[in-house]
Amino acid sequence: MPMRRVFPTICVLLAATGAIAAEPLLHRQIDRAVAKRAGGPLAGPASDAEFMRRVYLDLSGTIPTSAEARSFLADKNSAKRQKLVDRLLAGPNYARRMQEALSVMLLERRVGKNVSAKSWEKYLRNSFAKNKPWDRLAGEILSGEGRSEPSQPAIKFFVVGGRTDQHQMTRDVARLFLGMDVQCAQCHDHPSIDEYTQADYFGLLAYLTSSKVKKNPKTQLAYFVETPLAGPLDFASVFSPEDKRKTGPRLPGKKEIAVPTFEKGKEIDQPAKDGVPAVPKFRPRTLLSEQLTSAGNERFKRNSVNRFWYLMMGRGLVHPLDLMHKGNPPSHPKLLGQLADRFAKQKFDVKWLLREMALSETYQRSGLLPKGVRAEDAPAERYQAAIAKPLSAEQLTWSLLQATGNLDALMKAAEVKDSKFTFKDYINGRIPLPADIAETMLLMTSVFGNPPGEAEVDFAPAVGHSLYLLNEPLLQSWLKPKGGNLVDRLGKLKEPAKVAEELYLSVLTRLPNDEENTEVAEYLKRFEKRRSEAIGELAWALLASAEFRLNH
Amino acid sequence: MTHHYQCNGPDHTLSRRRMLGALAGGGVAASTLGIDGLLRPAVAEDMKSKQRQVLFIWLDGAMSQLESWDPKPHTEFGGPFRAIPTSVPGLRISELLPHTAKQMHRLSLVRNLHTVFEDHSRAVKPIQRGDPKNRGVTYPFLGSAVAKFLGPGESRLPPYLHIKPGSGGFHYQDAGFLGARYGAIALGDGKPPSHMTRPKSITDEADAARNALRQKLNQRFRKGRREAEIDAYDYSFSSAQQLMKRKDLFDPSKLTAKDQERYGTHQFGRHLLQARRLLEAGVTFVKVTMYYWDTHADNFNLHADLLAQFDRPFAAIMDDLSDAGMLEHTTVIVLSEFGRTPKISQKVGRDHFPEAWSMCMGGAGLAQGAVVGKTNAKGTWIEGEEYDIGHVFHTIFRAIGIDPAKTEYDNNGQPLPLANEDCGPIKELLV
Repeated sequence: MPMRRVFPTICVLLAATGAIAAEPLLHRQIDRAVAKRAGGPLAGPASDAEFMRRVYLDLSGTIPTSAEARSFLADKNSAKRQKLVDRLLAGPNYARRMQEALSVMLLERRVGKNVSAKSWEKYLRNSFAKNKPWDRLAGEILSGEGRSEPSQPAIKFFVVGGRTDQHQMTRDVARLFLGMDVQCAQCHDHPSIDEYTQADYFGLLAYLTSSKVKKNPKTQLAYFVETPLAGPLDFASVFSPEDKRKTGPRLPGKKEIAVPTFEKGKEIDQPAKDGVPAVPKFRPRTLLSEQLTSAGNERFKRNSVNRFWYLMMGRGLVHPLDLMHKGNPPSHPKLLGQLADRFAKQKFDVKWLLREMALSETYQRSGLLPKGVRAEDAPAERYQAAIAKPLSAEQLTWSLLQATGNLDALMKAAEVKDSKFTFKDYINGRIPLPADIAETMLLMTSVFGNPPGEAEVDFAPAVGHSLYLLNEPLLQSWLKPKGGNLVDRLGKLKEPAKVAEELYLSVLTRLPNDEENTEVAEYLKRFEKRRSEAIGELAWALLASAEFRLNH
Repeated sequence: MTHHYQCNGPDHTLSRRRMLGALAGGGVAASTLGIDGLLRPAVAEDMKSKQRQVLFIWLDGAMSQLESWDPKPHTEFGGPFRAIPTSVPGLRISELLPHTAKQMHRLSLVRNLHTVFEDHSRAVKPIQRGDPKNRGVTYPFLGSAVAKFLGPGESRLPPYLHIKPGSGGFHYQDAGFLGARYGAIALGDGKPPSHMTRPKSITDEADAARNALRQKLNQRFRKGRREAEIDAYDYSFSSAQQLMKRKDLFDPSKLTAKDQERYGTHQFGRHLLQARRLLEAGVTFVKVTMYYWDTHADNFNLHADLLAQFDRPFAAIMDDLSDAGMLEHTTVIVLSEFGRTPKISQKVGRDHFPEAWSMCMGGAGLAQGAVVGKTNAKGTWIEGEEYDIGHVFHTIFRAIGIDPAKTEYDNNGQPLPLANEDCGPIKELLV
């Protein structure tokens, strides 16, 4: 192993060792908590191949190459799993993976021109590359006004299409940062969830109601700025409209903030200048970003770890993710509290949190159910076996490109300047195949992503996805032999067993079993007159299998 | 007010133990129907002779019974609309349904529904699952259950299609314990998905061979795992392949101008016309969802608007199914998750009301032109007998040729009643 890889590993190990004195390792706590509530036998550990594919997808957003798989499987070092986790966390794809996962989670595939997707992605990638503490990142997203360069794109969260209404913002801040779907509480206290009151809803709205999208007429740059707030908000339940109430900004379960009054004309701290909007003296959204993300806000901490847990484990400790309330208790209440507290204590270090999760036996458990245990006797919330997660549209794209050996060529392809590519034009045959990675990703997310505003949590295999895999010319083009891609490489191998090995390692990150070896040999024999096409079909069958589609 | 269930009728005298005993050794018919042991076999034999179909219209958010099936004009809570005569002498429904009124001889009304759920999040799923007793399993939605009982029929098309506004997809969660493949294929805005044509470079032989490999991989992979996701994924491929053979079903050029005029070009009109085409093609269960019935405010204007969208296409599809002779094997159901309050709120709205509401159903296997049960003069209570959603499910299952008293699910060895066993069928509707 090269030296530069060893060094960060040692640093992390030292950090971990330092923590032992104070508290048990978090991954041990996770395993104890899960074992305690398993209610039945636990699955054995995942095989090296199973673990490798899973951790690559989770921490780098793609499957490994066949060469990486070979070297990991051959490695005899007993600490190789931990080393792999550390290598992926330090690797270049980690930030991209987190950017993709968090973009899908926070924007829910909403798009908009106020802030370009590119600059938002760059901002998130830089944040994760630098391992910016999660409370700070969340705070920047919540408070962003677009006045200063590096965090300017953070306002995208609020100014994206379909979210520019303050009610929608309130609902999405509550869902995504506090784990509360308060929609029903806009018009009355939630009918079935006692904790979600209309006062909570309006308390949150009061932080956001005076924030507006403005454009600098000179630079056309978008701002999301605060304007003076006249006073507390009025509200009344539709069931008792005569009972008029008022609230200033207030977080659920916390104290209301008094809205200061200013003499007319004295609300402004800095007047507008050169197209840059004015700054009012009282800025409730700035307060929101501080109060919401503080370690004292239990809901924020719990929602945060619950969402990272969901990304790694395939299901929230509280599930659905945005129904965190007493009537929908966590599967492991004590563990959720421990994760939340230790994450805060660790200064909201995301890499540390993901690392601890990845090192747990719970994460490294096989997806095969324990012997004799039926699926219905091992409900997902007990984590007796690994939960299969659907590949996101992004993971699927990177993995398809990686598996078919077309990734390098596409990454080297010149970027299409001012691309006019749209999904609609493409499927209607008005424009040719995607020419660069951005167009490819746009096509793939249009097929495999949800419509804007629909969260992607559960696996929803649609007929449209299958039709795409069955019939899409782009995918077919990846299965034609070209410049060292998978089908090209396999075409040069004479022995069927060698073809099978390279095929299975490249696509499914594992070696074929005897049955699969025979199957490949028979297929090649049956279609020997058209061997290259037959190899493409073998690869297609693996790419279209559930084993490829799921992160298991 | 009493909540009297029509239970312990003669249908219940057959005990489960006896039934399991009686059916033992008769396990041949199941495989011929592809019903693979999830139903007790003797019943499967029963169903084999007649292909049945279902049109299920789901009015999401809850339609007001007072502005539709059970009007109370000139009463305290009656609202501004009149009641009009229908094709059934003596039966009157809201004037907001003038075309439907002419169809009532093909339909029946149940005016004495009393269910238990009063908010959407708790009602929408249990109502469509028939509110069975809690046995720690998730029951299938009606569409998944019917897809299971009746299969795809001769059409080989996916048996459960769901036309809805917005996005499509595969709603495998509908299937509950039946397993993912009985989920709903949702057609967003009634449209077919893209990519319905195979590239010319892939021959029939190559396509069959590559798909056989794919399926073998899935079979190997599912061993010893939670199979729901794997089966759902596999099913999405087989559905895709069947649909590819019937592209014509979605071809707008095949619609006549007259049909488009009769059904209307608005969303629900288009969706119901698409539903007719799918039923004609032999799809077993077609669900059509219409949203926005949750009229907490401005109930009367909204219902005038919504029912105008519903009325004409609904009457048109009833005419068409009847003219084509399809009503003889097609059961039609119009349902919401509950009714709406007689009391008119300060926002001129009606709120959620599961205590006394109505639904409409008719066509194959059901009495036509019948009215079951009644509410009091103000529509606030049921007078006399009441029915719960369990009764409705018993009735629907009987209508499509399954007797819940004689059959049950076999959930990996766990026998489960098809519908809530505290209920029985609505006798007045059985034929």
